[in-house]
Amino acid sequence: MDVRLRQKALISGVLFIGLGHILFLKQQVKGALYFLVGLITFYFVAIENTGSGFRLNFNGFIVQKIRGFITLGVFNPNLPVRERDHSIFMMVDGLLCVLIIVLFLIVYVISIRDILKIVRHYEVSGGELADNRSFLKHVLNRAFPSIGLSPVIILLLFFVVLPIIFSFCIAFTNYSYPNNIPPANKVDWVFFQNFRDLFGGAQAMWTSALWRVLTWTLIWAILSTACVYLTGMFMAISLSHRNIKIASFFRSIFILPYAVPAVLSMMVWANLLNGTFGPINAMLMQSGLISQNIPWLTDIGFARFSMVVVTTWCGFPYHMLMVTSIMTSISPDLYEAASIDGASKRQQTFKITIPLVLSQTVPLIIMAFTFNINNFGAAYFLFMGAGSTRGPSAADTVSTNANGIDIVVTWIYKLTMQNPQKFQYASVLAVLLFAVLTPFAIWNYTRTKSYKESGL
Amino acid sequence: MTNNRNHKILNILNAFVVYIVLILTSILILYPLVYVVGSAFSSASSLQGIGTNPFPEEPTFAQFRRLFTTTNYLTWYKNTLQIAAMVCLSTVVITSFAAYVFSRFNFAMRKQLMISFLVFQIFPSFIGMVAIYVLLLRLGGLDTKWGLALVYIAGNIPYNTWLVKGYIDNIPKSFDEAARIDGASHFQAFTKVILPISRPIITFLIITSFLGPWMDFIIPRMVLRSDKQFTLALGLFQLIDGKAANNYTVFAAGALLIAVPFVIMFLIGQKSLMAVLGSAGVKE
Repeated sequence: MDVRLRQKALISGVLFIGLGHILFLKQQVKGALYFLVGLITFYFVAIENTGSGFRLNFNGFIVQKIRGFITLGVFNPNLPVRERDHSIFMMVDGLLCVLIIVLFLIVYVISIRDILKIVRHYEVSGGELADNRSFLKHVLNRAFPSIGLSPVIILLLFFVVLPIIFSFCIAFTNYSYPNNIPPANKVDWVFFQNFRDLFGGAQAMWTSALWRVLTWTLIWAILSTACVYLTGMFMAISLSHRNIKIASFFRSIFILPYAVPAVLSMMVWANLLNGTFGPINAMLMQSGLISQNIPWLTDIGFARFSMVVVTTWCGFPYHMLMVTSIMTSISPDLYEAASIDGASKRQQTFKITIPLVLSQTVPLIIMAFTFNINNFGAAYFLFMGAGSTRGPSAADTVSTNANGIDIVVTWIYKLTMQNPQKFQYASVLAVLLFAVLTPFAIWNYTRTKSYKESGL
Repeated sequence: MTNNRNHKILNILNAFVVYIVLILTSILILYPLVYVVGSAFSSASSLQGIGTNPFPEEPTFAQFRRLFTTTNYLTWYKNTLQIAAMVCLSTVVITSFAAYVFSRFNFAMRKQLMISFLVFQIFPSFIGMVAIYVLLLRLGGLDTKWGLALVYIAGNIPYNTWLVKGYIDNIPKSFDEAARIDGASHFQAFTKVILPISRPIITFLIITSFLGPWMDFIIPRMVLRSDKQFTLALGLFQLIDGKAANNYTVFAAGALLIAVPFVIMFLIGQKSLMAVLGSAGVKE
């Protein structure tokens, strides 16, 4: 009897979602809900509305859209541009349908696991089946988490997950100016061609631009993080052990850059450092230190220097505040013991304060590092006045859109928004960024308290 | 004896050097800020008209007048306020609710969801720009405020859910269990017990999600088309991009009108900001 119930429920549940619940497990309400989900999915997968009638030919709406995702349309030069297949829309629609199918499969698996759970309960309790009433009670109990999570899940699926998957897909197509911009033309799958172009030197100019941008991104992230952190620590230590009034006076000046939005600061600095009209050059000229304007933003060396200095200006206050708050949590007993043992102030700073602060701020440094890899503002707004290429141009800038100070994110942005658009290369870079940054995020997370406590 | 005196001299010298550094740094910090304030009240219109002295000889409100009459600045300000309010409200409601569920309930896929949130959170949201564009086109959300707000709200979810969940994890479970025993529903336990205790993190959430849209540039650049729908960052950028020679002082006036409320809000919320950032970033 037991074995047969399990078999019957399982077979019918696998055959069509919800069937097992209705026929054998006395759970008509839950089963009907599952069944409805299955019916709707079945309609969109299997039944085609041809306009003249419905046909059961497994060529439904969802199947058509997914096929569109695979073929990306047909190029038909005889049609007016507006009526041609739009590969990118087809790709997004297809992805949406794949998402829906994945959601359905998840529900399907959950329903089968539920059958197993009910049968096990039946076996343990010796032949009793929970009926609809207990299911309704269960729903009311469970409704709270579902209500809380559904807006989050829906928003994330459509506006975060789908775009990320989409941009990964683009990395394997030839979506680019001038020959593959829909709707005038179609986009094709090219698989690993873009990776060969960029990394393998199939397009020498692009490979050299890529290495320039990658090396500068890495150097930039290390350099700016170091400057921001060390300046912050230096200021925090300089302000400690001072008269409280003086310290808080200076501290309230120093946090001003943190209160002003970084984008504004960058735009202001872009003007201050302007090569021809900027007051910084004018001041240096007046004081006789230079006889010729310094190209702060248009010479590659000076531009990189300015980028680091201005970022330090914007970013050190945050680290100063962090280090200060850690320093106040260091037990005074440590310093007392050290001074009894004859350690000088300087020794105390270098042997107690700095090592303790360093060890506690490792996650903070990692966070600053990943922030700077993604620091769009420093490489874009600071250079908005610096000529048509927004910064010191390199030999390949006209075709690759990458100038001397571009980091990966600004390059992605320019490849997407400026002519000549190369969406496919932008997506390859996005994949790269993803691969590099994910381990940092996870590593940083494993060090947090919530991870250690829940082991999640 | 001499050793001690040497030590004293060294200490005074040391303090002297530190103060020089502190004063120099203060000048470096203040100069750009004072320069912008001065420019906003200057009568000249261009960068070279101001020179190196940040203090205008005859301060005027001419630039503010120019800002209000020749540009859509007030409309941009209003747009940004509306978007920020929408984003702020929705983010607080949606993420605090979700964080409570993650912290207190056990359900299928909970672990996988939390870890995927972590991965989404590091991904700059403009990476998927093209797909977001198509989605909004399909929803009719291009060049609208709600379309832009929707993108921001979705982008705010992963990181903030983590943050608030971490905070709620630290509240003993016995608090809400006691409320449940007294007959409160889950929802009541959440609003009456958990939310009041979580006030610092909710304040943080309100401040950061309200300030986010003010200076973001990339996403509005893609979603918004018409000048009437622009946010402040877009409008200001358009005002000065490549035109510093003509528009610098108008830009300064516009920037000042943003920076002042920012600084005030920052000073008010500083304590809760620091407390949260400290506990989020710095863990043993």
